[in-house]
Amino acid sequence: MSSGENILSANISVDYPGKKGVLRDVALDIAQGEILGLVGESGSGKSTLSLAILGLLNLKGGTARGNMAFLGRELTTLSEREMRSIRGRQLSLVLQSPHSSLNPALKIGTQLTEAWKAHAQGSRVQCRRDILSALQMVSLLDGESLLNRRPSELSVGQAQRVLIALAILHRPVLLIADEPTSALDMITQSEILRLFARLNRELRMSILFISHDLLAVASLCHRIAILKDGEVVECGSTEMIFNHPEHSYTRQLIAALPAAPARLEEVVVYSR
Amino acid sequence: MSRIRLVAIVFLALTFSAVLFADFVAPAPYAKQFREVPNAAPSLKHLLGTDDLGRDSFSRLLYGSRVSLLLAPAAALLSTLIAAFVGGSAGYLGGWFERVALAATDLSLSLPWLFLLLTVRALLPLNVAPVTSVVVTFALLGVLGWSSSGRVICSGARAIRESDFVLQAKALGCAPHRLILRQVLPNLQPVLSAQFWTSIPIFIIAEANLGILGLGVAEPLPSWGNLLRGLENWPEVKASPWKLAPIVALIAVVSCFQLIFQKRENLAS
Repeated sequence: MSSGENILSANISVDYPGKKGVLRDVALDIAQGEILGLVGESGSGKSTLSLAILGLLNLKGGTARGNMAFLGRELTTLSEREMRSIRGRQLSLVLQSPHSSLNPALKIGTQLTEAWKAHAQGSRVQCRRDILSALQMVSLLDGESLLNRRPSELSVGQAQRVLIALAILHRPVLLIADEPTSALDMITQSEILRLFARLNRELRMSILFISHDLLAVASLCHRIAILKDGEVVECGSTEMIFNHPEHSYTRQLIAALPAAPARLEEVVVYSR
Repeated sequence: MSRIRLVAIVFLALTFSAVLFADFVAPAPYAKQFREVPNAAPSLKHLLGTDDLGRDSFSRLLYGSRVSLLLAPAAALLSTLIAAFVGGSAGYLGGWFERVALAATDLSLSLPWLFLLLTVRALLPLNVAPVTSVVVTFALLGVLGWSSSGRVICSGARAIRESDFVLQAKALGCAPHRLILRQVLPNLQPVLSAQFWTSIPIFIIAEANLGILGLGVAEPLPSWGNLLRGLENWPEVKASPWKLAPIVALIAVVSCFQLIFQKRENLAS
């Protein structure tokens, strides 16, 4: 559970060339050890928000306005070099599609080594020890044999775990998981959700869990923010969102669940 | 592997072996004149006869093949490196640099390549030492022949730039030079390799074109280009068909390259 102290406080708007107001005054606070769910339909700006926090909006030609305080530093004023030193070390990302997010030309060991070298210096032994520890943390116990494999030789569940291992290698304070379970089958999805819950518990890692799957979000997150057309229309505890939704869009979302549980207690909860 | 590709590989391997060891395989040095037997017909001593200066045609074909077959890959390497630098940087960096680089590439592509080659070569000194003529010819091929490869590589690099794994690597804080070395280059390698191999036959033919017009490798050093100049006199060729050996060798080698690397190019694309 969160300790109350905010590690990220953001209030931002994002524009793309030819498309203004992709995000409009989106205000989000994430506390230490908290899992915040961000739910919204496709195109509502969820991934844009994750890129904005990471300072990678320029990759899509976007520009952000507003402020983002992360661990007491204003991210919008940092240089690219300073942002690079934060990315992967204090602020990390897990993307949706595990296979396309891993470099197909490199072995898993090489990719993990690259991620390690981005923020650490030390011997090969030390690097290997940290890598195996991260793999163990994501329940990949046969880490040694995985290191020599290429992404195409992994199952989708293994690939997603490797991706999470890459992201938590340097024990970031905030992990942004951008639809990390959308490409997974139900069983793997459930395993990955449990994994996020465990990482949150054991490493006290805050997680911004972005998804359009309200049930998955409900099972994992302490609080939920609902994003609609670039605006946060509702934000509150999971219980409040499910039991007393205020905004019509939130009510629509809950009503649209395939088998909407009558009460929150019926949802499998991993994080509490 | 299809039987025809296997035959092509064996043929190229034998040809490359023969030209690499031309010093041992050739019955005579390429410039040695047998003045008593000019324009001789094939015999045991001169397998493809002799030319009008009495030089052994088989030896000249072997040495000429060596010049063409070894320097075309060198030119292909040069052009692929230039294409990788221009196209790769444009595709990976994007923005105004990509627009400027692509405009330059398109301009280069819009010019008839052979015409450009002939013009630029004609502007350079023609009366140079044979070795200098070799270097100039193939450097010119390499420097002027990168544009189509550059476009293909640019497109490949753009796809890599927009890929999830590059976004993931950036989100992990990887430094720009590590991104290029570890994320971009390994994934561009199949495209680079295909461009290199498919450029070789193009450069072999381009050298032959220059050689026929007297703008390629200078005599007495033989190359397929200047050997083909011997075909200018058609009645003489008709009377002595063995003089067609250089063009037969050229067609065979270029066809073999196409057969072998067509599939590689398809795979890369």
